[in-house]
Amino acid sequence: MSNSSIEYIKKELSPKVRTVGSALFVAGLIVVVLGYVTDPVRSAYNNIVGLTFLISVGVGSLFLFALEYVAGAVWSTPFRRVTEFLAANIYLIPLLAIPLLLNVNSIFHWTHPEPADKTMLNKAPYLNVTFFVIRVVLFWLIWLCFYFFISRNSVKQDTSHDQSLTKLNIKLSTIFVPLFAITISFAAIDWLMSLSPKWFSTIFGVYYFSGTVLAALAAGTIFIVLLNEKGYFVKGLSGDHYYSLGALLFAFTNFWAYIAFSQYLLIWYANLPEETTWFIVRWQGSWKIISIGLVFVHFLIPYFGLLSQPSKMNPKRLLWMSGWILFAHYYDLYWMTMPNFGKDGIVLGWIELGFPLLIAGLIMLVFDFKAKSQNLVPIGDPKLKRGIDFRL
Amino acid sequence: MMSGKILYSYTGIFDTPDQIMHAAEKAVETGYTKYDVNTPYPLHGMDKAMKLKPSKLGYVALVFGLSGTLATLLTIWWMSAIDYPIVIGGKPLFSFPAYVPIIFEVTVLSAAIMTVVSMLFFFFKLPNNSHPLHGTEYMKKVSADKYGISIQADDPKFNEAAVKKFLESVHASEIIPIYWDEEEISHKNKILEPKFIMFLIVVAVITSGVTYFSFNKLMYMVPFDWMMNQPKLSAQQQSPIFADGFGMRQPVAGTIARGSMVYQFKGQPDLAGVKLVNPIPISKESLALGQVKFDIYCSPCHGYNADGVSRLRGQFPNPPSLHSDKVRNWSDGRIFAVVTEGQNTMPSYASQLSFDERWAVINYLRALQRALNAKESDVQ
Amino acid sequence: MSTVDYTQELSVIEGKPPLRVLDDLISKPIDAKPTRKFFIALTISGSMLSLLVIGLGLTFYYGIGMWGNNIPVGWAFDITNFVFWVGIGHAGTLISAILFLLRQKWRTGIARFAEGMTIFAVMTAGLFPLIHVGRPWLAAYLFPYPNQHSIWVNFDSPLLWDVFAVSTYFIVSLIFWYVGLIPDFATLRERTNNKIKKITYSIFGLGWRFSNKHWQHYEMVYLILAGFATPLVLSVHTIVSFDFAVSIIPGWHATIFPPYFVAGAVFSGFAMVQNVLIIVRKIFNYEHIITLDTLEKMNKIMLLTGSMVGYAYAMEFFIAWYSGLPIERFTFVNRAFGSYAWAYWVMISCNVISPQLFWSKKIRRTIPVMFVIAIFVNIGMWFERFVIIVSSLSRDFLPSSWHLFTPTYVDFMILIGSFGFFFTWLLLFTKALPVVSMAEVKATVTGSQPSHKDH
Repeated sequence: MSNSSIEYIKKELSPKVRTVGSALFVAGLIVVVLGYVTDPVRSAYNNIVGLTFLISVGVGSLFLFALEYVAGAVWSTPFRRVTEFLAANIYLIPLLAIPLLLNVNSIFHWTHPEPADKTMLNKAPYLNVTFFVIRVVLFWLIWLCFYFFISRNSVKQDTSHDQSLTKLNIKLSTIFVPLFAITISFAAIDWLMSLSPKWFSTIFGVYYFSGTVLAALAAGTIFIVLLNEKGYFVKGLSGDHYYSLGALLFAFTNFWAYIAFSQYLLIWYANLPEETTWFIVRWQGSWKIISIGLVFVHFLIPYFGLLSQPSKMNPKRLLWMSGWILFAHYYDLYWMTMPNFGKDGIVLGWIELGFPLLIAGLIMLVFDFKAKSQNLVPIGDPKLKRGIDFRL
Repeated sequence: MMSGKILYSYTGIFDTPDQIMHAAEKAVETGYTKYDVNTPYPLHGMDKAMKLKPSKLGYVALVFGLSGTLATLLTIWWMSAIDYPIVIGGKPLFSFPAYVPIIFEVTVLSAAIMTVVSMLFFFFKLPNNSHPLHGTEYMKKVSADKYGISIQADDPKFNEAAVKKFLESVHASEIIPIYWDEEEISHKNKILEPKFIMFLIVVAVITSGVTYFSFNKLMYMVPFDWMMNQPKLSAQQQSPIFADGFGMRQPVAGTIARGSMVYQFKGQPDLAGVKLVNPIPISKESLALGQVKFDIYCSPCHGYNADGVSRLRGQFPNPPSLHSDKVRNWSDGRIFAVVTEGQNTMPSYASQLSFDERWAVINYLRALQRALNAKESDVQ
Repeated sequence: MSTVDYTQELSVIEGKPPLRVLDDLISKPIDAKPTRKFFIALTISGSMLSLLVIGLGLTFYYGIGMWGNNIPVGWAFDITNFVFWVGIGHAGTLISAILFLLRQKWRTGIARFAEGMTIFAVMTAGLFPLIHVGRPWLAAYLFPYPNQHSIWVNFDSPLLWDVFAVSTYFIVSLIFWYVGLIPDFATLRERTNNKIKKITYSIFGLGWRFSNKHWQHYEMVYLILAGFATPLVLSVHTIVSFDFAVSIIPGWHATIFPPYFVAGAVFSGFAMVQNVLIIVRKIFNYEHIITLDTLEKMNKIMLLTGSMVGYAYAMEFFIAWYSGLPIERFTFVNRAFGSYAWAYWVMISCNVISPQLFWSKKIRRTIPVMFVIAIFVNIGMWFERFVIIVSSLSRDFLPSSWHLFTPTYVDFMILIGSFGFFFTWLLLFTKALPVVSMAEVKATVTGSQPSHKDH
């Protein structure tokens, strides 16, 4: 095996990861519980932001993980474990979904349509609680299954060095990618679009998808850069690998902007009352600031931050920009969700802090847990050597 | 050695990419500055081996791209919000989202064009087909499958023997000296060459001929003729379709033109005086219209004040003053009959003044009459 | 099926041909006298082209009334053809720019040809908006220039965006193409002994010297151009989709149109490139340069984009139902079961179902089968635009004005003629310029790059 020449010595993650992760998790949990006690509806809306963010990172990472197999990419193979570990967050989705399912009536207005509302009755076959719960569970099971099998094969390869496992994973991933497209679109429709039950936009699934991939990439990049700078991976991972990550972040930032602008332009231009409501709500009161801010936070800042070639290779810049993009995705989800709760203006207080803290803690703990039992580098992967030798 | 020729450079040919990389690295080490590596395709890592500075063309693209963005934004803003403001589809005069596509396109266009133009014409100083390397065996080889290095004679470290030795030391498979072409050095452009003048004349004749033909002939031919030829009848045209040969049809008997009314008291001015009632109430607008029309059509004979002071200098019989008791006591309808049909030498003004205008003139005339015969109450 | 060794990178060019042999092979069609086959092909495409000339002559002389367009179907074959041909062009830019940015080396063998197809397809596409305005010789009115009427064009109109998008796309593609051709012109210049050819190549080659000081900037500019061409290609079909989507016609106004049109464009473009390349590699013996692996990868992209298009169809249908609005629901039911149901089902079976066959590796690597599938894809994509345009227009908000569209013989002449126009250019291109980039192919042959010495 050509991989035998690769020297990889497993290093334990610093105990700080677990300490900080636990602290964030506990702090977040306290805030969330307090929030649910004091203002359950507002907390439930926050919960949606949190849940969709977790789905973005977890399922988005699983998508990137599968994408590497489907596309036959080699440059990302040395880091693939990071996306695998992040994808493990799929396990935690029920943790955030169950409180919401208990509160469906207070946040989703389609659960109690007015009898005279013909439009809502037309939608009832899709928008009803039973089917909603079925979809939530079904999608989660699909994600979980594919995560379980693909990652099991990947881990098995560490010891067996069996090339047929790669082939098997390519097959599994190929099946997963279309399923991912469907499930993530409908998850977006269910969790985010149906918050304004009469509003519809065909591009919405793609919009959420673009944010999902961006968030997963950013989360992965943070771990990759932090760990690689401290030498947790193998030697020889250099600027060219960083450049590829940076270029992908840059490309998806543009893709997000393209989708977001397309959606806005078409609705603004056609000016149909059944569609413009969504943007009008987000243009009222202080929400206008958030809406305009989105253009800067989610597009202009990362765009100019990652535009030049050296900035895509600079680990420090990459780290900052990834952190920023993660924030931007949370901001985006907040912008989509919260105006449904506070129609008059920005809703921001201690309750809004709970879920970001909780999720940051969870992601760190899951990563730490996974890193304990598994190698940080897929040492048995046949593409590893080529991945390390990758040059632009 | 061919004497009399000026040496441009010494070149070495190599067979493999690894050899040329090695040669380039060594050339840098030796301290040559004016040298070049010629390869049929770009070699990875050659810029590092030659220690070239990173290309600045990225900045060119950025600068021209952003200028394109800004220029387009300002242009569109000026055109649609300032110079020719017109509301379209209920959108604001300056509707930014709708301009994004065009701004983007122009940004890309200007950046792409200017980057390539700067690269080819300013960075590379192309086109240049008279470079000494052209037309040499060396160029033939490096354009196909060999790799070459060329160390120029104007390099400060250049020394024929040393360079030859250097090329041998890096295992060049062939070492060829390149000379300046005699003609290239002494070549002068001859502007007044008959061939060139003939060429100019031919171009001028063709250009003006084509221009003349396009604008004076072609644009008047079908289908370029601005729809001059249309399969329809114009007013007053002949037509073989109808028995009377006229293209235009007579209106059906009893048709009244839009906006016109029938005058029912032809030849009966007194009856008109009894039956016709002025439908136009006296108002500022009516009096203003009346004044305009009166001054145009009535005042030449009747005078501006309707006192019969004409401006005709006796070329036409002067009409009597309209301030006479007779006229003052006429009803509006009676005056209307005179305006419509004429009286004595006064012709009909039916074709000059519409019904409403005639009534306006009468209203104005009443005001003039009142002015000369004002009552006490008018003053208060 | 052979087992793949994932530890080894697959070579793009099969075997390890000497570089000079590659040059000979690529420049052979240019150097050799045209064969009889070439003239037969040229005659066929030329006769099709003459149909276009006659069709356009009739249109210009008698007016647009020669076509089947009539209220309410004001757009029909003309705009269908326009969108179809712009879409064909997209594959070229995708191959040359996006795959370049993604470092997909397999693109080298097909990039030049695909770029050429882009240019000819955009030229063909550009014909349609021009002839649709009725008086193409007055097309200068489309641009904002200072004039004595002191009016400006309407910048709010997506039709004007189109003018900018298509002309920018054409110019940038041409520049991109030409920049790629410069080194090849220089190679040809050095190869030829014919005086006229030498002068021509010298003029177009600009005196390129293969200098590495130049190559460095050249590669940078190539990267920049690819970076520009990528969003540009997205923007072009996006703007084409805006022509429809900014309106309020049900079936046209859907927010998913931009990415959906782009995916469809790439889909049909790849099908066309694959069709033409299969013929080209056979005739010119380029089997080692345009390998079966390359074709398989193209088929994979067709599978991907075909599925994206399928996703968009499904999402449109679902959201039309989900919207709960009667007019939206009617439009889509009408599409699938109304007067144009036949066109709709042609579209579905060609675009969504037929590329699914590419899931099988065997089919992906069987040339006759993939050729047929790609033809189906092209037919399907033409019908997609036809369905979108005509079915929505013929059943708009006012039932009293509902009217079906019937094409006339002139419509068909122009449709067939547009293929003649495209293929005539393409045939001339194969004889005039190297259809494979010599410099790029040479750079990807195994052993043509210096071996790695890690620092």
